[in-house]
Amino acid sequence: MTYETPVATAPAAARAVTPPTRKEGGVLSKRRGAVATVIMAVLALLWLFPLVWALINSFREYEYTQVNGYLSFGGWTTSNYEQAWSQGNFGLHMKNSLLITIPAVLLTLWLSSMVAFVLARFSYRFNLALLGVFLAANLLPPQALLIPVFRMFREIPLPYFMSDSGSMLNSFWALILVNTAFQMGFCTFVLSNYMKTLPYEIYESAELDGASVWRQYWQLTMPLVRPALAALATLQVTWVYNEFFWATVLIQQGDKLPVTSALNNLRGQFFTDTNLVAAGSIIVALPVLVVFFALQKQFVSGLTLGSTKG
Amino acid sequence: MSRPPSTAIPRSTMVTSAATRRSVLRGIGLSGLAVGGASLLAACGGDSGGPATGSGATVKFGINEAEGAGAAHDRLAAIAQAYAKESGTKVDLNAVDHNTFQESINTYLQGTPDDVFTWFAGFRMSQFAENGLITDLSDQWPIDGLNDSFKQASTASDGKQYFVPISYYPWAVFYRKSVFEKNGWAPPSSNDEFMALMDDMQGKGVTPFAFGDKDGWPAMGTFDILNMRLNGFDFHMSLMAGDEAWDGDEVKGVFDTWRKLLPYHQADPLGRTWQEAATSMGKGECGMYLLGTFVVDALGENGEDLDFFTFPELDSSIGSDALDAPIDGFCVASAGKNQDAGKAMAKWLGSAAAADAGNNAADAPFIAANSGASTSTYSDLQKKSAEVVGAAANIAQFMDRDTNADFANTVMIPSIQEFLKNPDDIDGVTASIQEQANSIFG
Repeated sequence: MTYETPVATAPAAARAVTPPTRKEGGVLSKRRGAVATVIMAVLALLWLFPLVWALINSFREYEYTQVNGYLSFGGWTTSNYEQAWSQGNFGLHMKNSLLITIPAVLLTLWLSSMVAFVLARFSYRFNLALLGVFLAANLLPPQALLIPVFRMFREIPLPYFMSDSGSMLNSFWALILVNTAFQMGFCTFVLSNYMKTLPYEIYESAELDGASVWRQYWQLTMPLVRPALAALATLQVTWVYNEFFWATVLIQQGDKLPVTSALNNLRGQFFTDTNLVAAGSIIVALPVLVVFFALQKQFVSGLTLGSTKG
Repeated sequence: MSRPPSTAIPRSTMVTSAATRRSVLRGIGLSGLAVGGASLLAACGGDSGGPATGSGATVKFGINEAEGAGAAHDRLAAIAQAYAKESGTKVDLNAVDHNTFQESINTYLQGTPDDVFTWFAGFRMSQFAENGLITDLSDQWPIDGLNDSFKQASTASDGKQYFVPISYYPWAVFYRKSVFEKNGWAPPSSNDEFMALMDDMQGKGVTPFAFGDKDGWPAMGTFDILNMRLNGFDFHMSLMAGDEAWDGDEVKGVFDTWRKLLPYHQADPLGRTWQEAATSMGKGECGMYLLGTFVVDALGENGEDLDFFTFPELDSSIGSDALDAPIDGFCVASAGKNQDAGKAMAKWLGSAAAADAGNNAADAPFIAANSGASTSTYSDLQKKSAEVVGAAANIAQFMDRDTNADFANTVMIPSIQEFLKNPDDIDGVTASIQEQANSIFG
């Protein structure tokens, strides 16, 4: 990603100085360009193959593929999708995922932007150490924290109107908190780096005009970091939505599971209709794809803006 | 997750909630949390859970089949409904899919479990009993219609019952009736007939045994039956309990017999799921398949063209009267809120009425454990299964239920797969199993 911007501007500068020894294609010569294209095409195919394979077979009947093998052609149907939706009870579980993902992403962005603001704009002695701690926590695998978090949540009482188990277990609160905690490190890191690139003069003039710290954060910094926030929001929605591990550990009630865990509803005790599971997986993957394509522009501009300092 | 049995939930919860109480009290003076503290305390306090049965009582019922999972879920849901209707108790159903339920059972039981939940007989139940995670149900036994062998299967190592069985299914050698008829084959009754049958099949270009072990567990069934045929049921059970040597001559003998039988099995089993293996038996490419009755599910038919026989004897001094027939049923969680309601429901679940309620409501019935249950909805396969299991002298629960779950999943699955990959290194495989068994069974 980081090399994209210089690439776009390089040809003009190169052409002006040296005679036009190479044509379109940026820093790559024609031959190298061809090689790179082939390599990228092969890699893209390798990536896409399993996805396309799943997509194709999600439209085929299990009975047909089981008898004729997956290399055959035929047995087309859309019933897998209907069955996956109803058997997996995806309507309910999509709603659960929504109830977990949206608050978690908003909370993460809000909290981490505040931390990042302080880390980027004020110099305390422990700034770097604090950022380091936030990042270090990010490196801990969640599996290592499974038992402590589980036991902690078991002992934290919640009133019954918030959680019908009477504790953090089995409630969306637990998942929202856990996801927020695990995503904050990364978001703080990205946002504080981004905020450091904002010109310091803006803050000086704001200060002269009498803007409080809160106002500098909310009315000055937040609008300026919007591209970064949008990029992070895209990423976070994907990550939190796809999160599977904590949901299976902390939620024990079938009707509270998010949609990723509910994908298991399509498997029986012994028997698994793989075509049905493929259809279910594609349904589950759709919202992420939609978010990604809708916010793609923000995503790319957000990342590149952050990478070229100042 | 290894925790000493003494830290069972209720006690530790009591200890820690006492600690919070103290620290909250300390906090009140500092931060004026008096109101919040009071409500926290109220939430900490144990609630009695209300009456056991009748109107006003609620029992939470956790089942290991998700909604939409077909007959398996419909049966349990119907049973819950029947209980609610008969006793007047409100039943809160919590349906989680089978694999998720099983994989998260440890956090489930230590977290906020339902009062009654579906589980398996055997070592896995016994393990929870030892750790104090499930409730002693011996005051609910005996239950009308459940004979001694079921009572035995519901008993943990301390001699008390912790389990109420509802259904079971046998593992046996399945075959297509039409294929056997066309070729003039008959179920073998002795080892010689068995070998002759397999040779004849190979002569006609049919692989005798369908075989797939990509999933890891199906080959355990083969190990179980060979061990029971060669070393007997008692040895098998104490081997599963970790009391016999895995690198001894007995186990080596099992693997050696298996190695000799492997040429009669489909090649490259590690690349084949049991469903694919079942399909090749269904299509007639393979003559037989050693599996549970769920083999029907993979064939997409009702099993009219299927029949089975129990694995023939390999050693005449041991015979062939033992088999795998996993029993499903219910336990009451110690951490459940309403213990009395849970116990009352568990007892009812063992009754013939519960089994009938389930079987009458679903497309496919299970084989009821209760001898008083109606068999009118059974298919031919199930009628025969009930007969065969009834005639068996000894019933095992299948390896992954008869032994420590960690041992079955993390040691036996890869070890058996290693053996199937390289059948000649029996000494290496058994030595490695024994080494790992030492660290697990202690």
